[in-house]
Amino acid sequence: MGILNISMTGLAAFQRALDVTSHNIANANTEGYSRQITTLASRIGLTAGDGTVGAGVKVSQIKRSYDGLMMRQLQGATTGVGRLQILDEMTNRVNSLLADPNTGLNSSLQTFFGSVQDLTNDPSSVPTRQAMLGQADGLAARFRAVDDQMASLNSEVNERIRQAVAEINGLAQSISDVNTKIATAGPDADPNDLLDLRDQLVLRLSSLVAVQTIAQDDGTLNVFIGSGQGLIIGTTPQELTVVGNEFDSTEARIAIAGDGSLTPLENSLSGGTLGGLMEFRDRVLSPARESLGQTAIAFVQAFNTQHRSGMDLRGVLGGDFFDIKPPTILPSSRNSGSGTATATVNDIGALTGQDYVLTFDGSNYTVVDPRDNTAVAFSGTGTPADPFVFGGMSVEVGGAPAAGDRILVRSSRGTASTMQNLITDPQSVAMSAATRSRVDLNNLGNAAITPARTVDAADPALLTTATIEFLDATTYSINGAGSFAYTSGDPIVINGSEVVVTGLPDAGDRFIIEPNFGGTGDNANGLLLSDVQSVDLLDGGVVSINENYGRLVSEVGSTTNQVVAGLQASLAVQRNAEAEVLSVSGVNLDEEAARLVQLQQAYQASAQAISIAATLFDTLLGMTRR
Amino acid sequence: MTQRISTLSSLNSQISLMQRLQSSIDLTGRQIASGRRILTPADDPISSARAIELRESLSRVNQFGRNASVVMSRLSQEETALTATNDILQRIRVLALQANNSTLGNEARSQIGVELRANLNELVKLANGKDGNGAYMFAGTRENVQPVTQSGSVYAYNGDDGRRLIQIGEGRTVADGDPGSEVFFRIRNGNGTFVASADPANAGTGVVGSSSLIDASQYDRDTYTVTFTAPDTYEVRDSSAALVGSSTFAPGDTIAFRGIQFTMNGSPETGDSFTVEPSRFQDMFSMVDDLATAVAAGANDGPAQARMNNAINQGLNNLDQAIGSVLSARTQVGSRLAIIEDQENTNGANAVTFQETLARIEDLDYAEALSRLSQQTAVLEAAQKSFVRTQGLSLFNFL
Repeated sequence: MGILNISMTGLAAFQRALDVTSHNIANANTEGYSRQITTLASRIGLTAGDGTVGAGVKVSQIKRSYDGLMMRQLQGATTGVGRLQILDEMTNRVNSLLADPNTGLNSSLQTFFGSVQDLTNDPSSVPTRQAMLGQADGLAARFRAVDDQMASLNSEVNERIRQAVAEINGLAQSISDVNTKIATAGPDADPNDLLDLRDQLVLRLSSLVAVQTIAQDDGTLNVFIGSGQGLIIGTTPQELTVVGNEFDSTEARIAIAGDGSLTPLENSLSGGTLGGLMEFRDRVLSPARESLGQTAIAFVQAFNTQHRSGMDLRGVLGGDFFDIKPPTILPSSRNSGSGTATATVNDIGALTGQDYVLTFDGSNYTVVDPRDNTAVAFSGTGTPADPFVFGGMSVEVGGAPAAGDRILVRSSRGTASTMQNLITDPQSVAMSAATRSRVDLNNLGNAAITPARTVDAADPALLTTATIEFLDATTYSINGAGSFAYTSGDPIVINGSEVVVTGLPDAGDRFIIEPNFGGTGDNANGLLLSDVQSVDLLDGGVVSINENYGRLVSEVGSTTNQVVAGLQASLAVQRNAEAEVLSVSGVNLDEEAARLVQLQQAYQASAQAISIAATLFDTLLGMTRR
Repeated sequence: MTQRISTLSSLNSQISLMQRLQSSIDLTGRQIASGRRILTPADDPISSARAIELRESLSRVNQFGRNASVVMSRLSQEETALTATNDILQRIRVLALQANNSTLGNEARSQIGVELRANLNELVKLANGKDGNGAYMFAGTRENVQPVTQSGSVYAYNGDDGRRLIQIGEGRTVADGDPGSEVFFRIRNGNGTFVASADPANAGTGVVGSSSLIDASQYDRDTYTVTFTAPDTYEVRDSSAALVGSSTFAPGDTIAFRGIQFTMNGSPETGDSFTVEPSRFQDMFSMVDDLATAVAAGANDGPAQARMNNAINQGLNNLDQAIGSVLSARTQVGSRLAIIEDQENTNGANAVTFQETLARIEDLDYAEALSRLSQQTAVLEAAQKSFVRTQGLSLFNFL
């Protein structure tokens, strides 16, 4: 009786073990499958008088070959790769946009200033002026195009954030479904394939955002994101929601639902595709657009200022050459009052390009840097006569703000896309100086005068002729009035024009400053216009327009470089982690083949034991028949 | 302890290895086909940013080269005009010396006067010359305004004092011309410091000879009158009629006072006077005009001859100043041309450096790339062979 039963347990156990092995072989190529191992245990027999005979074998457990620590390492590596892959893709697109000679700003800046130089060679030539206007159009269009492309990249990022959030919500739902099934199966069910499925889902979730997981006693897995917000607690998923930024509703921010209210997850989400997208938008794209806007504003203001100091072919003072929008004002959607503000850039050297937030405390405004919420020093009271001055801007406030109301002042981002060339008439390009100086031909002394330089283009008397007449060798009058001490080499400013007289004048010597009418061959203002490219205007007067753009290109370039290097490294880490996991959990077909042979032999042996039992019976039955 | 290898992982790792090899072979192939190491800025962001700077510097250097050739051509046109002006002034000088000869008859003199006028017209034409673009060369920046106009014997300058500066290097500009006011109009007459001239009413034959400044510290630029109180005595008074000095005189003597001196030939008579005043600006055209007028006036008696000699002597002094002004303008043009040439050398050297650096950054090292390619293909072939071999190994083959 014993031998038959014992052999039957052997047959059953080896049958199960063969099933598991063939399951392993069948899933040799299944992604995320963990090799399953049949654990056999002897059945404890009953103790008879002459000792204990065992009762055969049983399958005690079918368990996964699995190392939770290695799996967590793989999840971490996947989060890193997810972040760097999206950063790599997106920063490369910005980098190509900025650094490629065909799409970047550099070639347009070069050809524009080249055309200004060409015009200084031949300032009265209308075709050359026409060519310069064409290049000005091209430059403004290129500024707009570069910013527009970055703006559409920004919309794309916001859209992809929405997609990633939808995917995360879907995965959270799936994981909690699996949790439900595992919990229902009970603690001893060994739901190996469900566990594998859940691991795969968590891995996919990890490629989207960094998660922490904690296994529960009932077999469920809790998943947390950000700074410990529960995405899945037991069998309940919490939904992530995309909400607009309070100042800019198009800017996707993330909040998590819970207890009927939305909790914003401002900067706590990191890693994965989602973290990478937000990092790209906030750390690469927005600063790049700010820097581009800063360059555009500096260029337009400097070029306009210089252009207004010159005279055009008709003898009229130059006007604004380019137009660009002032800083953007964005009141918070949460404001209860109706406070407004207007901002203008008044100091290129102090212009930072960044955003600022005005916060009203009920009686006064304070200025805050939104990136780190630190207070920004400012002066003024916000009235038109005494505006707030900070970050190179002057800001006037109005309306009826309520306590706690906030207004975002976006100094530069997006302004580049508003740049326009205002001049269409080639005659209106102001290449000549506004005024010129002249030595009276009847002078007796040997004093000389420098060409007149416009220092205040807004002086209403700029185009009024003035005469410096020397009363004697050391004093002079202006327009026959006054008596001023003369020092050779000291600048003299009259009606917004500056001249320098040097040498020894005689009494009665006269120098005349007059409007530069007819000075069509003059290129003095043109030379100053072409200097705008290289004059240090930005960052307190140490960085030129060219350098500022170059700095943007090399910053984005080096970010791209770091991301590429980081991606290579993290891909290697991911490959290692994957190999580690597979070395424990992966199926080796040779191993399974050997196992098949082993189990087949054991099965045959048990079967043989049964046939021996049959023979024994036959022997016994034969005896009685005789 | 050897690591367990799963069948899937070994397959995956071999496939991904082959894929990486194939993508690097693809990159090498594209590099070889294009001859460039950097195909897109993403290939090497840092070097791409550097290449942008280099291309910009290169384009500026090229722009400076274009500017320089514009200035060169304008300056050589100016040089040609100045050389022609100098030639005419020298010719006028020779004519004036001929006319100064007392043995010459009035008829011959009037002939010289006609020739002087013809030369004067040439001078005006040169000053009103236009460049290749039809702009007046000597009008300053008022290049559409005829700079010199004549009304009787008065010559007016209608241009301005402007000089167009052209950038020929980083922070280096050079003027592409000179205003007519400086070349033709602002010329100090006399000897450049003072003018000694005879009173037209003089009855004697005193002729002012060569004059010079001998001590600048004593000369106070006042106006002095030298009056002969007797044919052999003169006194010098300043502008407020204060006596400066007096002396005896013999023909050919040098009259000297207050740091200046001039010689006096001929015989002045009692009451004859000579004025010494500081030089003032005069244009070269009226200088020649005065000379032509003096020559054409002729000389029928001694005092008239002396008047003519005085006028021609003064005209010769003026001419020397005019020639000096033209020569100094020519020297300036020459030194500007030298500056441009020097700067062009610098620009050329810079352009070569920029181009070489750019090539080092962007261009492909073919030897390196080709050996890299053959190495990569060899590795891929080996990986493919090893894949076929290892994937064929299975225990199932023997069951």
